[in-house]
Amino acid sequence: MGKIDDTIPDIGFLPALVITIVFGIVFQLPGDWKLMLIVGALGALFVRRIRKAFLVGFLGVGLAWGLIFAYLIATAQAMAVADMFIGLLGLEGLGAIVIVISILIGALLGGFGGMLGRAIYELIDEFLPSDSSGSQTPRPEPKSSEEEMASEQ
Amino acid sequence: MSTLLDLINKEGENMKRKVVNLVLSLIGPIALIIILTMPIGPLTGGLGIIQPIGGIFDNGAPEPGSQVLALPGLDAEVEVIIDHMGIPHIYADSTNDAFMALGYMHAKDRLFQITMQNYFAAGRISEIVGGYANSSDKFYRTIGLKRSAELTLAWYEANAASNPDVKAALDSMYAEVEGANAFIRSLTSATMPIEFKILGFTPELWTPVDCFINAKMLTWGLSGGLEDFQRQWIRETLDNDTMYNDLFPDLMPYTEPIIQEQANISYAEYPLAPGMAPATDNPGQYASMALADEVVIPEEKLEALIKSLNEVLNPFGDMELVGSNNWAINGSKSSTGMPILAGDPHLTLQAPSVWYEAHIVVLGELDVTGTTFPGLPAVLIGHNDHLAYSFTNVGADVNDIFVEQINPTNSSQYMYNGEYRDFTIHEENILTKEGEIIPFSVKESVHGPCIDSVWNTYNLGIESDANLAMNWTGSGVTHEMVAAAGFMRAQNLDEFIDAMYWWDSPPQNCVYADDAGNIAMLVVGRFPVRAGYTGEYPVVALNDSIGMVSNIPYAYNPREINPSRCFVSSANQRTINPSEYGYDILGPQDNGYRGRRIFYLLDNNDGITVDDMKRYQADVVEVRAEVIVPYVIAAWDDVGDGNTTISDAVDLLRVWDFDMEPDLIAPTIWMYLIDAIHYETFDEIRSINTAIPLSRTPILEELIVTNNSYYFDDHSTVGTVETRDDILVRSLFTAIDKLTVEWADEENWEYGNRHIVFIEHLAGFTYIGGGSHRGQITLNVAPTWIVTHGPSTRLVADLSNIEMSYMAYPGGQSGNMFSRHWDDNFELWYAFNESTEQYGYHVLYFYSTTDAFRTADTDGTMIERTITFVP
Repeated sequence: MGKIDDTIPDIGFLPALVITIVFGIVFQLPGDWKLMLIVGALGALFVRRIRKAFLVGFLGVGLAWGLIFAYLIATAQAMAVADMFIGLLGLEGLGAIVIVISILIGALLGGFGGMLGRAIYELIDEFLPSDSSGSQTPRPEPKSSEEEMASEQ
Repeated sequence: MSTLLDLINKEGENMKRKVVNLVLSLIGPIALIIILTMPIGPLTGGLGIIQPIGGIFDNGAPEPGSQVLALPGLDAEVEVIIDHMGIPHIYADSTNDAFMALGYMHAKDRLFQITMQNYFAAGRISEIVGGYANSSDKFYRTIGLKRSAELTLAWYEANAASNPDVKAALDSMYAEVEGANAFIRSLTSATMPIEFKILGFTPELWTPVDCFINAKMLTWGLSGGLEDFQRQWIRETLDNDTMYNDLFPDLMPYTEPIIQEQANISYAEYPLAPGMAPATDNPGQYASMALADEVVIPEEKLEALIKSLNEVLNPFGDMELVGSNNWAINGSKSSTGMPILAGDPHLTLQAPSVWYEAHIVVLGELDVTGTTFPGLPAVLIGHNDHLAYSFTNVGADVNDIFVEQINPTNSSQYMYNGEYRDFTIHEENILTKEGEIIPFSVKESVHGPCIDSVWNTYNLGIESDANLAMNWTGSGVTHEMVAAAGFMRAQNLDEFIDAMYWWDSPPQNCVYADDAGNIAMLVVGRFPVRAGYTGEYPVVALNDSIGMVSNIPYAYNPREINPSRCFVSSANQRTINPSEYGYDILGPQDNGYRGRRIFYLLDNNDGITVDDMKRYQADVVEVRAEVIVPYVIAAWDDVGDGNTTISDAVDLLRVWDFDMEPDLIAPTIWMYLIDAIHYETFDEIRSINTAIPLSRTPILEELIVTNNSYYFDDHSTVGTVETRDDILVRSLFTAIDKLTVEWADEENWEYGNRHIVFIEHLAGFTYIGGGSHRGQITLNVAPTWIVTHGPSTRLVADLSNIEMSYMAYPGGQSGNMFSRHWDDNFELWYAFNESTEQYGYHVLYFYSTTDAFRTADTDGTMIERTITFVP
């Protein structure tokens, strides 16, 4: 078995984002927000840098939840539910805030999932042999990776 | 070599960096998981529930279409047609199947409500909302509704084999529980009530005890009033027995008693009291007994007790406001030649509603429709294929306090029948949502649980052993569910009366009408016969000759059957004139103004139609004002000083027809005026203590009508004697002055500006209503300014055509606030039609088969969907 990054190609940010959105919708159907960490991690398979991994997860899940909310607002009174919920905090009529916060939470779950996934892949790849049959993708320079982490913090 | 070492070092650095990256990458997810699962204030369920699917947003989804659902335990398929109001029409082959389906529907539509009421009554609400609610739990564990429910269940189980009535009731309970549990087991995020998600609570499966706890809560809410403390406090504080007897009598003047032509039934056939309790046909034997001395409880303790009792939430509202109307006319009064029955029980208006409508059909056995109490397998207000019924509360005092004499050397014992007995100690550990256990113990004597077990925990720094035992007829085993199982099935008056032989608690005025032309007002319930005390005040009862020694035999319970005036009616007023009845029924009962209005309307009208009955239910004539305002106007005309502001107000009262309509100013003036008249008249009371109620309005009315000179004189003035008219005019000034100040911000003084109906969600998440509202102490009862009590449902049953009977209640079938059935019934209940002078109703669809229902639904507007339950 070759390295993960040798097996799964870097397909570019936008294709990876589309895949992540699809994963985001599908994995949300069971109704467990923790799965969004996995969605982010899955999206991170298709990009290489940690910054990109975060972004693909963040935007992918955020957009996925946004799409779901758009559907729920149209069909399932999501705005009324949100209004009731925010009303519990004394902020009547500001239900949109709940939906924005929810999308932000989903996005962060996806983003952090992406970062975690990328970090895991790269660590695992350290222990896996190179596989010449796999597609050759440039390994990230350690230096740049370190800088990214620092900048993320 | 050095290159190799460099390479190894570089790889090591690389590995180290990646491990660090991984560790750093874990911070975000872990932090998010913590944030999304931790309780945040009331949001105990954590912020994760705001995800788009699997959280609170699932509850906004529309109901599914027709469904086929497995309901293990059914004998055969059950078809449930859900009508356009969300009301289930349950068609089953057996009562077991029917009540399983009802249990499922109750849980499906009202699980949060039932859970709340159940935990509340069982003294477990701290488990849902947190330990701050422990005083409520202590109270309910003290009165022991759950203990009584357990005893009741045990009795049913022990007697089911030998008594088919008991077995029928018990089987219904089991079926209800099984059906509800099938739903609870099937809970998904889509069907889990949103309240549970927010509170982070997972509902447990029901048990039959829970069912009986629900019944006990209903009973407590309607008959658990503890008047003894309040009476004693008023009397002791006044310290003037003449004044006390004048101003705080048990019997209100001008009342039209409910029962005016007492109809006994066979004592030989019904020798016992309701619920098979012992009875006496000779109450006079106890009349000569010396009365036990009243025990005067120290003022500080008494006030603390009253305060703590007032703080405990009564699920159905303040006992003073729990009231109802019901009446029936027979064919001589009706336009149809057959009886018409009307009923509107007044309870706290809550969301979801107290009631849940259902129509239950078991061919050849049961065909009944109306309102059920969620969690109980019975239609409590409604009609079957032959008869209709509805209830009002009797409001009798059936709850007394006995002061136990504690052994000075052993506080766990009390004196009874010449010896010291051990109190029974109930160890009640209260669990809290926070995971704490609050230990609590309740002492119980032969008379009942010591109500001051709660008070002792209130940390007032007063050392005292609990010794105030509460003797309530609703404690222990009661049989109202046997009665309910029977009266739903009754086919005629005899069967109905026979079923009510079981109804022991709470005492109710049950109006009845049938398709044989009969009408009746059956006062059902167990009324204690007291010996050696009056029941008004706490007493010491050292032996079993003092106390609730027996009961009124069911045969002699107050009742009217087909009275000569051709109508029966009740509105919580005096049950029966004491001079015409051999037993004492202790109040306090209602002031009687609604009773007087109903009596007037029915007595003075003939050819009454169903529409008239609806108009009567919407009636907002203030009888208090009708009587008192003319005296005020006359007083102003006689002794008024011509003040233009007051004159203008009086002119509004002059043309007022006493309707409490939102767009009028006179009702607003009246509200301030009646308070002011009480205030100005009863200086004798408020000069002693401002917390004492300023007497009751019928007493005030009597003083006005009889022109009483003593109480109208303001004893705080020296050298002048105020007359009635002086006080009435002064009241006008007081009222208008106060109104002017308090309504300064209002554009005008229209009553509807501040007379608002407000129906709050059980957990305060939302509300129904908020608009201006008609009525006050009127047939369409709407007391105080923010109306939170009122007709909890309205029923009009036409016995000439039972299929065209009507109902509406202030809520909706669904407990889901995002369902269209959350408040659609309220919209009917609230919508007053100015031209017909009626509120809205829906027809109680009453088709005995699914085919008949479907055939009738020619335009597809009657049936919403179907649930088919399969074994």
